[in-house]
Amino acid sequence: MAQFRAKKLDLGCFVNVRNIRDHTKRKVFAEHEAERQALRYIIRNTSLSQRARAQAQLQLTQMHCYTRSTQIKNRCIMGGKGRGIMSDFNMGRYQFRINALAGNIPGVKKASW
Amino acid sequence: MSVPRSRILDLAKVQCRIFSTIFNPEGLRLGNKVLRQRLKGPSVAAYYPRRVGTLKQLQKAYPGWETWDEKEEDRIEGLQVAKMRGKGAPKKKRTAAESKKLGKKKK
Repeated sequence: MAQFRAKKLDLGCFVNVRNIRDHTKRKVFAEHEAERQALRYIIRNTSLSQRARAQAQLQLTQMHCYTRSTQIKNRCIMGGKGRGIMSDFNMGRYQFRINALAGNIPGVKKASW
Repeated sequence: MSVPRSRILDLAKVQCRIFSTIFNPEGLRLGNKVLRQRLKGPSVAAYYPRRVGTLKQLQKAYPGWETWDEKEEDRIEGLQVAKMRGKGAPKKKRTAAESKKLGKKKK
């Protein structure tokens, strides 16, 4: 959503609208994580009153969808792809292959035996 | 040889005090597992590399230093050329009367 997006582009990697969106979601999630965890604690605590827990449930469901961790998806930082991402390198499999063969990724070497 | 329950409870209490955990001998669901979880926000938000080392940031960090921004210089030069040809941006109208005058002229 536009209200969360940074006014100035703050991405240093491959930029397309999906990468910007995912980046925004990550920042919003980090900002609201403590609040979400507090609400989750209230909901799970059976020693609190039923009313308080129900209210916390409502509040949690009414939070913006960008504050959810499930909205976040790893995307390729070199090409913006959303599938086949190697999370160790934050790259899609083809970009990983190209960069690894070019020697841009330290410690990665083509195996041969 | 059996140990009385009260003694075991005392031991559990001391254990909780030492390791700063919640004393909960009945095993009630207090939601403490949520509080035990680490916040993963910072690591999640650091997934994409940020934009760093731009000329503007350099200028801000070293105000006295002279930097050459090729793009910006090109833009300013182009503006000057446009102004000389009479194709520059019109002057900003400050009052309502001024902007009205312009509209009448067009007719």
